[in-house]
Amino acid sequence: MEPVENLGRERILERIRAALREPAPRHAGVPGKAIFAPVEDPLDRFQKECTANVTECTVTPDLRASGRAIAGALAELPPGGIFVQDTPELRRLSVDWQYDRNIQWSSEGAPQESAQATITTAEALVALTGSVLVSAACGGRGASVVAPVHIVLATSEQLVPDLEAAFTYIRQRELPLKNSYLCLITGSSRTADIEKILVMGAHGPRRLIVVLSMKPS
Amino acid sequence: MPKVSLFIPCFVDQFTPEVGLDTVRVLRRIGWEVEFRPEQTCCGQPAFNTGYWNDARPVAERFVNIFRSAEVVVCPSGSCTTMVRNFYPELLAGTPLQEEAVQLGQRVFEFSEFLVKVAKVTDLGAAFPHKVAVHDSCHGLRELHLKQESRELLRHVRGVELVEMAYSEDCCGFGGTFAAKFNMISAAMGDAKAGYAEASGAEYVTASDPSCLMHIEGILRRRNSKIRTIHLSGILAQTATFAERNPRPVKPEGAR
Amino acid sequence: MSTASREFLRNAAEKSADLVHRGIIRKGIDQYNAAAGRGRERFSDWEAARQRCHEIKWEAVNNLDRYLLEFERRVKERGGHVFWAENSEEARRYVADLATSRGVKKIVKSKSMVSEEIHLAPALEKLGIKVVETDLGEYIVQLRNETPYHIVTPAMHLTRSDIAALFKEKLGDVDTDDPPELVAAARRALRRDFFSAEMGISGANFLVADAGMIALTTNEGNGRLSTSLPRIHLVLAGIEKVIPRLQDLATIWPVLATSGTGQPITCYNTLIGGPRGPNEIDGPEEFHVVLLDNGRSELLADVSEREVLHCVRCGACINACPVFRTVGGHTYGTTYMGPIGSVLTPHLRGIKEFNHLSYASSLCGACTDVCPVKIELHHHLLHNRRDAVNASARPWMERLTFLMWGWAVKNPRRYALAGRMARTGMRVLQALKLDGTVLDPARAWTKNHAAPPAPQKSFRELWGKQNGAG
Repeated sequence: MEPVENLGRERILERIRAALREPAPRHAGVPGKAIFAPVEDPLDRFQKECTANVTECTVTPDLRASGRAIAGALAELPPGGIFVQDTPELRRLSVDWQYDRNIQWSSEGAPQESAQATITTAEALVALTGSVLVSAACGGRGASVVAPVHIVLATSEQLVPDLEAAFTYIRQRELPLKNSYLCLITGSSRTADIEKILVMGAHGPRRLIVVLSMKPS
Repeated sequence: MPKVSLFIPCFVDQFTPEVGLDTVRVLRRIGWEVEFRPEQTCCGQPAFNTGYWNDARPVAERFVNIFRSAEVVVCPSGSCTTMVRNFYPELLAGTPLQEEAVQLGQRVFEFSEFLVKVAKVTDLGAAFPHKVAVHDSCHGLRELHLKQESRELLRHVRGVELVEMAYSEDCCGFGGTFAAKFNMISAAMGDAKAGYAEASGAEYVTASDPSCLMHIEGILRRRNSKIRTIHLSGILAQTATFAERNPRPVKPEGAR
Repeated sequence: MSTASREFLRNAAEKSADLVHRGIIRKGIDQYNAAAGRGRERFSDWEAARQRCHEIKWEAVNNLDRYLLEFERRVKERGGHVFWAENSEEARRYVADLATSRGVKKIVKSKSMVSEEIHLAPALEKLGIKVVETDLGEYIVQLRNETPYHIVTPAMHLTRSDIAALFKEKLGDVDTDDPPELVAAARRALRRDFFSAEMGISGANFLVADAGMIALTTNEGNGRLSTSLPRIHLVLAGIEKVIPRLQDLATIWPVLATSGTGQPITCYNTLIGGPRGPNEIDGPEEFHVVLLDNGRSELLADVSEREVLHCVRCGACINACPVFRTVGGHTYGTTYMGPIGSVLTPHLRGIKEFNHLSYASSLCGACTDVCPVKIELHHHLLHNRRDAVNASARPWMERLTFLMWGWAVKNPRRYALAGRMARTGMRVLQALKLDGTVLDPARAWTKNHAAPPAPQKSFRELWGKQNGAG
């Protein structure tokens, strides 16, 4: 787009600078207190939060078992294609799933509207809230929102205790520099806009499934 | 004998004087000498709350001057106490009396606050054999942080049955000039409060603010309810012998 | 009295008497209160969380130019565009020019209060561009041709049968009042729009300076679809929405969710920094952020009111307000309703026209108690009242009343005389059964309150009698 003339920009900045010549008072408070109790057992907390926010969490002993768990989840779904993030692990595991479903890989483009499920990896899992952090690198923007079921393949190493740790992770991996998009997903889509009654499954996925394999300690 | 100076809100003085008299009765019973400085008129809240700060300021200055020499000031109203303690410093900012106003604010107490925190008395030897619900007046609750004080005092009143009214912390809708300017909203809020009072089974509703009570009772009467309001001082002023002699509480002379 | 003020009084009177409406709102608020109460318990120190949020917003607003410039620089580095709009008109024009120059026929919109503030949809509709609200509550009120009733729950004034009737009429393939089925109907209807719209418009809960990203807090997924599928994504945000660091969201996200809906965190917290990146599979080709001033820089300059710009639009104050519960969201007649609306609107839209909103409050302080960023809302209402008086924006009758009041209360004898006259007058009216009629100057009070006769003697007279004069 040709640059649009934006005379207002300087005027707005001028007004802001003039206004800020005088600082405003602050409210007193004791600084630096923790606002959440520390998370003692991240895996346990993650699972509890998933139950509370209606995320289906399956813990498996290893990647192979995760692959079979995903096959089990897919078997329950109506017939139709699925969209899968193109990673070496998911390519390997997909051998077990392919029986009668068409797989569209992320390298081939964005997910179809008709996909019955999408399968992606995640950047991290957050125990405090039972959340999944995804980036554009996890199969793209549409991958975690377009289909009725979103399946996440993760490992226990990806679990961080709380949101502070999640943002530290984001900063250290420089995720904003590498991605135009990040999303912290907590449960399946929902709305309470009708009489404040909670209805699961609005415009995003109706089901969020996290398949978490334990890394050997 | 320790002494308190009375700060009687203007509308208590003019429209609900029994609240003042009962306050005096209770203070004397626990051994405090009571004085009333007749130069006092109003703390300035009506003008201040309506935005007329320039009109309120000289009235506030006059108030500070009147009570300068008083060691302890007691007021049977959370909103008026709030005016002095929480708002005089802002109203008088930049004037020579600001510092004094801040000091005065530390020496002015709402009635229940005074009894529990200064006089440190919770059993007033009172008797009031009725079901009572407490309405948490907004200024007392949110500006002065008072909630347990009245309940603590009421717990020691013989024969009283404390019932918790639903939404006791909801505003009754008085709000000063709000009640006149937006009388339909004010009345609807009062109506809701009256409904909760009726549902609680209470015979009396009490509060620290006589203005709330005036508003709630006016609406209860309009609804032909038998429930009446009574200021906390009115309950605490009733003693066992008094109650025995007068089986239904009789309001003192000057009251309605 | 301004037109807005007259309308407010009329609507307030109508809604105050509407017990059905009050019942619906009471029920909704009770559910919210229960959830929010549980939500606050999840924090080990809710007050510390509020304090931290206050500090984050204080730092952001008091360094506004610096953080806005940092945000802008990073967005542009990723190929996005930033336009600074001084007022509604400039913002509307930018959006309209962009849409028409790109051949946009349909826009999907996720919730943006700023888009309501600048009246964007009507302007675009006039150009033949269809604007589809995708947030369920907004979608519902759009079908009804209404404005949002509440900034977070736009359709809370409607029952499921209201919505069922609406969908039956407008969508056709619906005949149920079961909420999951109604939601499914909306999903079906809007799905086509998400996939066919050329442009998606969103608001921004926050503009994150150190990442150059907007943060979107949602539950439904419509925000993500609107900002991922169309080829253009445009963001509308007030300049005050900026926060310094991504890390700040670790505190803000749970606090916002708790205050907004009582959830520990909402379903989707999305961060978007630009159009689709060079190695990315999907995403818009263009990313535009419109930063709106529209009176905010003036509020910034008013130092004692500046903290009003800290607002994170959670809606907690609206839910806490007994006036809102009585008159409902539409009565205010403004984009922002409830306490924050009553504080903000006179500043954004003129004190002469809108100061009545700051007066339509009993100053109960419930709003201040619940504000997650510790804005002293009810004190700002008082300040607005003071400013209205100083701007001569109040009725002359009121001015006169307080002049007389001031004259009376500065002298104890005058005051006592005035009091005696008032009481005598009341007793006469009551005896003649004229209280509450047009002859009663106090009828604003007496028409709703039944009272026994006014007292014969004041406290000071009785005290004088009991204790000797003086």
